[in-house]
Amino acid sequence: MMRFISQRLAMALPTLLLISLMVFAIIRLVPGDPALLMLGDMADAHSLEVTRAALGLDQSLPVQFLIWGKAVLSGDLGHSITTNQAVLPLILDRFQVSAGIVLVSVLLAALIAVPAGLFAAWKQNSSLDFSVVATATLLLSIPSFWLGLLLLYGFGIKLGWLPVVGYVSFGDAPWQALSYVVLPIVTLTLVELGAITRMARASAIEVLRLEYITHARAKGLSEGAVLWRHALRNAFAPTLTLIGLILGNLLSGIAVLETVFTLPGIGRLMVDAIYARDYPVLQGCLLLVTFVYVLVNLLVDLLYPLFDPRVKL
Amino acid sequence: MKKAFILAGGLSAVLMGNAYAENVLNVALNADIRSTDPGVNRDTNSDAVMLHLTEGLVAFREDATVGPLLAKDIQVSEDGLRYTFHLRDGVKFQNGAPLTSAEVLWTWHRYLDPKTQWRCLGEFDGHGGAKIVDVAAPDPLTVVFTLDKPNGMFLTSTSLPECGGSGILHPDSVVDGKWKAPIGTGPFKLGEWKTGQYIDLLRFADYKPRDEAGPDGYTGNKSTTLDRVRLLVIPDPAAAKAALLSKNVDMLIDVTPLDSQELAATPGVKISSSGTMSVNALLFQTRDPLLKDVRMRQAIAYSLDTTQIVAALTNGLSKANNSMVASGSKYHTAVEDQGYGFDPTKAQRLLSEAGYKGQPIKLLVNKRYPSIFDMGVFAQAMAKASGINLELETLEWGTQLERYQTGNFQMMGFPYSERLDPALSFDSVTGDKDKEPRKVWDNPDAKQWLQEAMRESDPAKRQALFDKLHQQMIKDVPLIPLYNGNSISALRDYVQGFRSWPVSKPRLWTVSVRRT
Repeated sequence: MMRFISQRLAMALPTLLLISLMVFAIIRLVPGDPALLMLGDMADAHSLEVTRAALGLDQSLPVQFLIWGKAVLSGDLGHSITTNQAVLPLILDRFQVSAGIVLVSVLLAALIAVPAGLFAAWKQNSSLDFSVVATATLLLSIPSFWLGLLLLYGFGIKLGWLPVVGYVSFGDAPWQALSYVVLPIVTLTLVELGAITRMARASAIEVLRLEYITHARAKGLSEGAVLWRHALRNAFAPTLTLIGLILGNLLSGIAVLETVFTLPGIGRLMVDAIYARDYPVLQGCLLLVTFVYVLVNLLVDLLYPLFDPRVKL
Repeated sequence: MKKAFILAGGLSAVLMGNAYAENVLNVALNADIRSTDPGVNRDTNSDAVMLHLTEGLVAFREDATVGPLLAKDIQVSEDGLRYTFHLRDGVKFQNGAPLTSAEVLWTWHRYLDPKTQWRCLGEFDGHGGAKIVDVAAPDPLTVVFTLDKPNGMFLTSTSLPECGGSGILHPDSVVDGKWKAPIGTGPFKLGEWKTGQYIDLLRFADYKPRDEAGPDGYTGNKSTTLDRVRLLVIPDPAAAKAALLSKNVDMLIDVTPLDSQELAATPGVKISSSGTMSVNALLFQTRDPLLKDVRMRQAIAYSLDTTQIVAALTNGLSKANNSMVASGSKYHTAVEDQGYGFDPTKAQRLLSEAGYKGQPIKLLVNKRYPSIFDMGVFAQAMAKASGINLELETLEWGTQLERYQTGNFQMMGFPYSERLDPALSFDSVTGDKDKEPRKVWDNPDAKQWLQEAMRESDPAKRQALFDKLHQQMIKDVPLIPLYNGNSISALRDYVQGFRSWPVSKPRLWTVSVRRT
């Protein structure tokens, strides 16, 4: 097991190197000059030259990459061009906001969707199955920003139960913090419910047709025991892969929701960094995101044998 | 008896405690600030916030003229080389230290040190504006600036928001050579800056206001009744609107004309708007093979019904202005009112004389500033009616800014940020294209007149120069200024005393909150 983990982590290193090289090159190919964006339309040639030099943008690209790469290897992701803050604490600070919301939402979505999918598969072609599929399809089709705005309007403006903007960290005031993240979590949970439910249902339908399920029923096991003890474990394995993909995708930023709910997450940080051509922040964010993807996939691979004993590490 | 006394005392203390409610104003900010170092790492939001914390020797008044702020008075020597500032007595920094000429000297030496990277260094080291050759402090309340030659823009440049109003700082703002936090003399002091979330400004209890009866632009009496201002970073306009409607914020300071119309109709919400000195314009590349013919540029100008375009773009809040001298400037006279006029027949005649055969002309716009995109759409439709083939190309703002800087365009819709003096407005468009490709107007006479306007301090002579510059610009058509922007704010009805003004930045010390 440890060998597998270390092998996978070692394999991540070339991925990270390649990604960092690509990110470094691609962001610089995009037209737009960070110094110019800082100074705006009032930039005269002299100020521009001075600012570029101060930001190290007057160096050649290979030199810039070497300076950055050397610093990254020593754990220093540089400083933001926009705010001059150290990049590593900045992105970790923002990442924890996004990660908290995403992890809770995906967990809630999985806890609701997997039993719902299993239940729908068990009652395939019944009105219950139809209702579950229709709800899942509807949730899958709703854009997250629209649902978010709708909830904001209902619970924030009309009912006035929850704050519309802002964020409080759980460390500062837990109950107040909860009031700020309820709506984003509900939105994200609802949006992700659709895909997981459909996947869980499809997997369960396949599993319920297998011979060992018929055998279990023939043994006289109750339907509950057949479903929860025998069908669920096997049906959950493909769903786990999907949850892993969703998790990786969402952890790389929920920029739209973060904008709608004014959350200081990593998605919004990345979007702002793109607009401001804040190269160090963007490079740092993308490195972190790549690393998170690798970790989430590793975690899914490690969990997979628990649900499907045929898979060996 | 003793117990009863203690109980009564305790009860009254509790009641007193309950009676005191912190007077807080929550304001939405559309983007976070860049730093707390005035005029160094800055943008318009950073300037707006810093100008609540720090104060300069002089500042803009309500009518965009310059008046004393930390200075009691200003004396200019007859040769125009020496500016003597007498400081107000009794002014304190937010750390309790008194303001003296030593801090002014320290601040200006820091600003003039290239290592500080002050945005406005070029305005004072001879690169672009005045050149300060000496700053001296003959006594604790007097500071003397000496310039190498007379410069009519010295006080204006000193007051510019993008220079942080040249705010005077206490040396403790910098620790071990590194910027820590601003310690100024403003009516608010910095509470907390939670990046990406909010900035808290706290009332500075020992603030020493000027003697005037009320506030006057960035100067005058700036005392405040607010205990705290929380500026919440809300980048999404829809979320900001929702926050105002749910009373999570009390004020939005950057509202579009379209949103202002909707919000004005909402019970409990009011709108404050004012014309600003920013300029929205259509720029021409006068070296383009097609557009180098002035008749082509004139034809486009005559094909546009500017009045109608501006009315539609701003919901009637702004009026058309074909001059670089802003409508709100004291230098905007009947001469500057003379624009192009809408004359499709004349446009078609000029096109025919220029031999135009319907070749496409690329007009660059962006969606970061929706008014610029809409301006392009209107211009395209109206020009088409006169037979001009404008093609819109929508760029991301950073890309468009680079194309602007390098002069790589045929036509471009562009929002010039506000310049608070007509000389600065003309300077943003006038210059040598070989050295600065972003300059759209490369006319030797205009450059000469502009230099004179920069040096001159006599208002009558400056007026004559601005008139000449405007009239020549109308003939040359290097750009078509369409209108000056609007500063629109939406407020809950319990927010009192706020007023938009030509400098499109809020002055929150004027505000009081009376929640019922």
